[in-house]
Amino acid sequence: MRLIFKNLNVLRSTINAISTSIEIKEIVESAGTNLPNLFDFSSFGVFWKEDLLLFLYQEESCPPSFTHEVVKNMVKVFSMLGDESVSAERVTLQVEKRKLRPKQMMMDSEASLKSHLTLPLTVEGEILGCISLNSDQPNAFDAQDLQFLSVIGYQMAATLKHFQRFSSIKNIAIYDTLTGLHNRRYFEERLAVDAQKAFYGGTPLSLVMVDIDLFKKVNDTFGHTEGDQVLCQISSLLKSSVRKKDTLARYGGEEFILILPEAGLEESFIIAERIRRLVESTPLEVGGAQVNLTLSMGISNFPSHRAKSKEELVKMADQALYEAKRGGRNKVCIFTGKSSQWTVPT
Amino acid sequence: MKEDKGGKWSSDLVLDLYSNLLAEIWELVSALIGEAILAFLFTLAIQKLGEKYPFLASMNVSEDGIKLDGVREDCRAVAPIEIHRGFQSLINQLSHLFSALAEGVINKELFPKVFPKVKEADRIISQK
Repeated sequence: MRLIFKNLNVLRSTINAISTSIEIKEIVESAGTNLPNLFDFSSFGVFWKEDLLLFLYQEESCPPSFTHEVVKNMVKVFSMLGDESVSAERVTLQVEKRKLRPKQMMMDSEASLKSHLTLPLTVEGEILGCISLNSDQPNAFDAQDLQFLSVIGYQMAATLKHFQRFSSIKNIAIYDTLTGLHNRRYFEERLAVDAQKAFYGGTPLSLVMVDIDLFKKVNDTFGHTEGDQVLCQISSLLKSSVRKKDTLARYGGEEFILILPEAGLEESFIIAERIRRLVESTPLEVGGAQVNLTLSMGISNFPSHRAKSKEELVKMADQALYEAKRGGRNKVCIFTGKSSQWTVPT
Repeated sequence: MKEDKGGKWSSDLVLDLYSNLLAEIWELVSALIGEAILAFLFTLAIQKLGEKYPFLASMNVSEDGIKLDGVREDCRAVAPIEIHRGFQSLINQLSHLFSALAEGVINKELFPKVFPKVKEADRIISQK
């Protein structure tokens, strides 16, 4: 009886630790820390379908062959339960090794998977993944182990479902639903981080404000649905032209903005010019016809323009964009203080 | 067990038999792995057999248990032996899933209590 109470207490604290976790790795760690007090196992695994991630928390002396067998078995069971077959090669494996056993009970280098309990992680009839307890001993688990594991599985599934919901809410909050680019809100947050890094670290930072020339004409001639299609096509062109570390966002309407970390004036101008030429030379599908549109762009840079705040940097890029428009459109202008220029900086 | 006037097992009687058996399986296994996982496994097993035994798809499976009301309607024109085969396949499919998940742990609990009844049902119905 005392043993049951002890186990229930361990189960309670395991569930509590899982429910207060904020990421999948933390779930596995909280479970992994508590589970050795409940079960005698060699390896504990959590497979998350969404990212094809498999976390293994296992005994330090687990040989690689055992790990391989566990992965294979979990993927096999999941494929049987899920509506799609998963190949073990596609799974990203993260292994955490801990000392779960005394020295005299270390696993043999030839140890193989002898018994397991695997349960699906399900919420409202949807399978999110599976969890598994594995052992190199035959018949290592009994009905009570299964009951405890299922309780842990329920809590994990519920917590994972929260993560999933949170991540889709997060996506709605930071992405523009039409173009799939980051939205203005994300841009503001990102700029705050990048500007702070640049201002305090003394590294260069450029902003490029982009506007589609005469976009109103597209909407007036072909309608807003076609106009939206043009925004999507130009977004794809912009996306394909920036570096991995850059942030590209829809600033509003037909305006976009680019944060180019560690880019000096010359490099920013080269990137902006490349984008301008690409859009100018790419025919876009609009209402069954092909049209060529152009972009105007304004560049501001830290430290060249001595901006004292991120807001000032945005204002400078906006002013340079205005100069590009005023200078006849289809141009890249660099902020100069009075009137911006559109030549390559020397 | 009741027989109809012709000495044959009616669809309703076969359904009663399996309704009780499935209820026993539900009670036993849900205590081990919980209702949500069990409902998921039942749904999966039914999906796998749905093509061969379409009447199984009318089973109502939820975390509250299994209801066969829809199956009764659908089975009016199905031969009792076919109903028997369908449910037997369902039980085999479930047993296969239990074994893949927990090796012998679930079936060890299930076999002594439920499977003699499955065998008995098979014997009685096959004799007629």
